Amino acid sequence: MKLAYYPGCVSQSTGKEMDASTRAVCTALGIEIEELADWNCCGATHVSNELVATGLAARNMAQTDLPIMTACSICYSNLRAAEERLKEPEVLTKVNAVLDKKYRGAEVRHALDVMLEAMPEGDERIVLPLKGLLVAPYYGCLLTRPAGLYSAEFPVILETLIKRLEAEPVDFRKKTACCGGPIFMPQENAADDIAFGILSEAKRAGAEVIVTVCPLCHLMLDAKQKILEQKKGEKIGIPVLYVTQLVGIALGLGPEELGLFMNTVSPMGIVEKAYERMGNES
Amino acid sequence: MPEDKAFKNEVLRLAGSEALTCIQCGTCSASCPTANLMNPSIRRLIKLCLEGRKDEALHNETLWLCTSCLLCTVRCPRGIRPKAVVSALKEIAGREEKKSKDASYEELFVKQIEQNGRIAELPLTAEFLFVFPQGMVSSMQMGLELLPKGKIGIEIDRIRGRDEVKRIIEELRG
Repeated sequence: MKLAYYPGCVSQSTGKEMDASTRAVCTALGIEIEELADWNCCGATHVSNELVATGLAARNMAQTDLPIMTACSICYSNLRAAEERLKEPEVLTKVNAVLDKKYRGAEVRHALDVMLEAMPEGDERIVLPLKGLLVAPYYGCLLTRPAGLYSAEFPVILETLIKRLEAEPVDFRKKTACCGGPIFMPQENAADDIAFGILSEAKRAGAEVIVTVCPLCHLMLDAKQKILEQKKGEKIGIPVLYVTQLVGIALGLGPEELGLFMNTVSPMGIVEKAYERMGNES
Repeated sequence: MPEDKAFKNEVLRLAGSEALTCIQCGTCSASCPTANLMNPSIRRLIKLCLEGRKDEALHNETLWLCTSCLLCTVRCPRGIRPKAVVSALKEIAGREEKKSKDASYEELFVKQIEQNGRIAELPLTAEFLFVFPQGMVSSMQMGLELLPKGKIGIEIDRIRGRDEVKRIIEELRG
């Protein structure tokens, strides 16, 4: 399987471990990726003009004939939304009039679904099954919206993946709730309240780790976790992993390759526990 | 206040004429993660647009409390896209040049894409703090967390297709 990889702007900054773990897992699973040539920002949630947002996405999609994979739910949502809008001839004509390479259709995939497909049940490459690990499946909002590929309110693909690694998904009521991330700069208090609500719910559900599919969710729940704990006067202490990091751990990849040392709340306890459990069983 | 028909039509043009079918059921407000902070609520914001009450629809904090999570859009029983209405209002507010801190963030974000094709978080944050210095303390806290982990992108990455990106932004707007 060969795919064009769209890393997105955060791959160069706050989401470096998302990028590192995506590349490492693809190599381990034999998924051939080629970085999308001269890619541009998708506009995230800050381009209010829909036609402009569609144009920015179309330029990216026109750079390749391969299916495009991204590990970022925001990039994914923007490309998917554009793909739908570009089915309207009027939109397509307007957009193609300003593009150098013309848009001729595209297939957009999230790394989550690519990994799941490449890793069948009982895959022998899962050398460190995460037996008994309680995982909160956190979808956030944009992976499932615009809907179509996954149910917008009751998606299960993350739970399927977690089970494939032999870990246990907890019943997580806020699994598709928004993390507040898009407004964290200008509306900090509002965003902090929302993010803390997600963390509290994960704690209540008994999760040992939260798994995310979006760098903004990760920033709010991991990089901000200690700041939020201080602000709210309550300890959370739950590591937050990108789904690619969780898969990488189960594939036996090293913490450096997966960028595990870049996480704010250290996930190393989970890794050690998994190795211990395996040692006891053998 | 007289009904501003031009304003109402512009919102409908940008966000879709299905907004006309709104029954004010409030499913959007009930689904919104920041509804508790909004005044007017997202339900009422749609009403203000349909009544052509331009000033009230444009000058409020509601627009900037939207996290773009799209749950309103997923759930609306009439197939209206309330988040698209918010985006339309932000777009119109942007043209009117009445600057708020929230509008500035969005403007700086788009400006950076226009200039470089990509976003570098450090220069973006620095520029935003220039117009909104109150955000300095919490940005420093985050910086102290991210910097030692090598997770702050300092260099501005410029793409080759900058002219094309600039054209996309300039010509598709409007």
